[in-house]
Amino acid sequence: MLKVSAISKAFGTVRAVDDVSFHLSAGEVYGLLGPNGAGKTTTISMVCGLLRPDAGEIFIEGKLFSANAGEAKRLMGVAPQELALYEELTGRENLEFWGRIAGLKAAEARKRAGELLEALSLTDRAKDAVKTYSGGMKRRINLGCALLHRPKLVLLDEPTAGIDPQARARILEFITGLRASGASILYTTHYLEEAETLCQRIGIIDHGKLLAEGTLSQLQELLGEGLVFTVEADFGESLPAQWEGFAAHFRVLQKSENQLVVAAVGRRDPSECLKELLALPVPLRNVSLKRPSLNDVFLQLTGRQLRE
Amino acid sequence: MLEALLAKDLRRVRRNPLPWMMNLALPLVITAVMGLAFGGGGGNDNSLGRIKFAVVDEDQSPLADFLRGAANQGKAGQYLEPVFLERKAAEQQLKNDKLSAMLVIPAGFASNYLTGGKVQLELVKNPSEQIHPAVLEELLEVVVSGLNAISRNFNSEFPAWRELAESRGDYHQLSRLIEQTGNRIETARKYLFPPLVGYTNIAGPQSAAPASGGKAAPKFNLFAYMSVAMAGMFLLMLAGQGMADLHRELSRRTFERYHTLHERLLPFVAGKVLFTVVIVSMGAAIMLGGGQWLFGFRWPRPLELGLLTLAYVFFATGLMALSVAIVPDEHRANALNSVLSMILSMIGGCMLPPDQFPAFMREHLCPLMPTYWYATAGRELWWSEGSWLISAAKLAALGTLCVGLAAVLFKRRFEKGAR
Repeated sequence: MLKVSAISKAFGTVRAVDDVSFHLSAGEVYGLLGPNGAGKTTTISMVCGLLRPDAGEIFIEGKLFSANAGEAKRLMGVAPQELALYEELTGRENLEFWGRIAGLKAAEARKRAGELLEALSLTDRAKDAVKTYSGGMKRRINLGCALLHRPKLVLLDEPTAGIDPQARARILEFITGLRASGASILYTTHYLEEAETLCQRIGIIDHGKLLAEGTLSQLQELLGEGLVFTVEADFGESLPAQWEGFAAHFRVLQKSENQLVVAAVGRRDPSECLKELLALPVPLRNVSLKRPSLNDVFLQLTGRQLRE
Repeated sequence: MLEALLAKDLRRVRRNPLPWMMNLALPLVITAVMGLAFGGGGGNDNSLGRIKFAVVDEDQSPLADFLRGAANQGKAGQYLEPVFLERKAAEQQLKNDKLSAMLVIPAGFASNYLTGGKVQLELVKNPSEQIHPAVLEELLEVVVSGLNAISRNFNSEFPAWRELAESRGDYHQLSRLIEQTGNRIETARKYLFPPLVGYTNIAGPQSAAPASGGKAAPKFNLFAYMSVAMAGMFLLMLAGQGMADLHRELSRRTFERYHTLHERLLPFVAGKVLFTVVIVSMGAAIMLGGGQWLFGFRWPRPLELGLLTLAYVFFATGLMALSVAIVPDEHRANALNSVLSMILSMIGGCMLPPDQFPAFMREHLCPLMPTYWYATAGRELWWSEGSWLISAAKLAALGTLCVGLAAVLFKRRFEKGAR
């Protein structure tokens, strides 16, 4: 459905996107995961034709985007990160307007607006001006405006940014339904749970570079065959690098004054790892074993938390 | 699609009409205030009213008689109401606000003038009045310029004049001399300074004799005269306000959203242009149509004026679209639009009649201004068809060029990632 091949974009001296490649199959949900400023929005802007890449190519259904932009855009629906709505108009009017702009006839746009209002649980507020909506409701309408013309490829740029958990849950539920309808979705987020829940494949992006991609389990395997330990202790001045043999068996993912997150190096027996950790030269309070999360993967790849 | 874009914008205006209503009403209010300040009225020949002033003739020479007589004869009589008084009586009436000014022709005026000596006319203005004394002063400057020109160019005839002045008799000789001098003045007129107050230009076409069997030209009306020029300025400003909505579309990311659906930006820009044309046309209808109703005159060629105005509205909208495309920031664009509107209006003669500008400006700058094309063609329509069609075609072509350029610039801006 979508193939992105080595695209780059710079703004002055800042390389916002640097040689990024990925592909999205029909009916697949691909998550682009990265902290704020990683290059997610710039990537999505190039994919939807708002920005022209400095280098690289984008293909939609096998056709070069730059040569078939008009046709490619008809296949897409884009929900931008920032709300792109007319606040003076009602929710229904916004939906109908964007439906008309997407090429639907007036009657068809009206019908689709009704369906989407229902699906987005906004029917009872359909006649109210958008400026009277809550943040979550505006996000839902913003999302709905991208879907009037039933696009085959949906680009969702952080659709849950800045809203409360309840509103977020509603949007995720809606997107799950969208996924079930067979649309291909490119989904950017900095929420790990969303990427884990919604996406079949995930690309981790930071400083404009795609650091890794794959299914969740493929990404987890990047970390010591899936063994991650959290060690709680009073580390004081003591540094893992000073501990004898530690660096050969463990890789530090994160360290604070009282907590150390490490991944076992190579295929190891969990009990053996536990024994080695209990023998560390610091007074331990707790050692726990967990499945590595995307955050651990991200920490391993970038050295920082996703939400930093 | 244009229909959907227009409906959306009009719906938005309907939801928040106050700023637009203020913009639409403002030009009319200002025209009314200015018109009333200048004493405008419906259809009078002399809408400034006759200017009453005293002539104090201390010379009592035939030349002074000639000046006295000229003050209330012919066209001057339509505007001027001289009364001939002694100095004291004139001063008293001036104090009592019964006169706008007092003109003193000093003793020895004629003989000094005819012998090449220095002469001085004295004008005492009523300080409680603003406009009438100023008009008189300007007229007197014209008279003085004329006398200077005569003195420089007709020196050879002065002995005959002096002889006449001294003999104080023979009116046959006087009339012959007047005719002779008048003919020479007529040929030299173009070298004289033009009058600073445009009475002649305002009243000229009105007083022209109608063609035989043709319809008489309508009487001059100050509000109508001002309305076209004021419309030229305010429609430009209103267009700036309308096209500023593109900035809001940019800041709200709705323009960007449109671009995710369509590669060509021209329809969106054209939609905003259409919206602005509708709004500004409403403004024009209110200004020109409402002005007609409010100030009690009738446009002699409403269809031609309407089409000319529509072309101007299109130009104004295109120009403002270009301004929005060039300047990315709304506040800076608003400032630029205001300055642009003022400069175009000023040089185009929307604020002051172009006749009053310095010669270089009047002859070389004004004719380049689209505001001038509109104001001039619009004013000409009061008396004749003039060249409105050419002006309208030029305005429409320029508007189209501006809209096309704006669309190209917007596309470049998006491609560069600047918003």
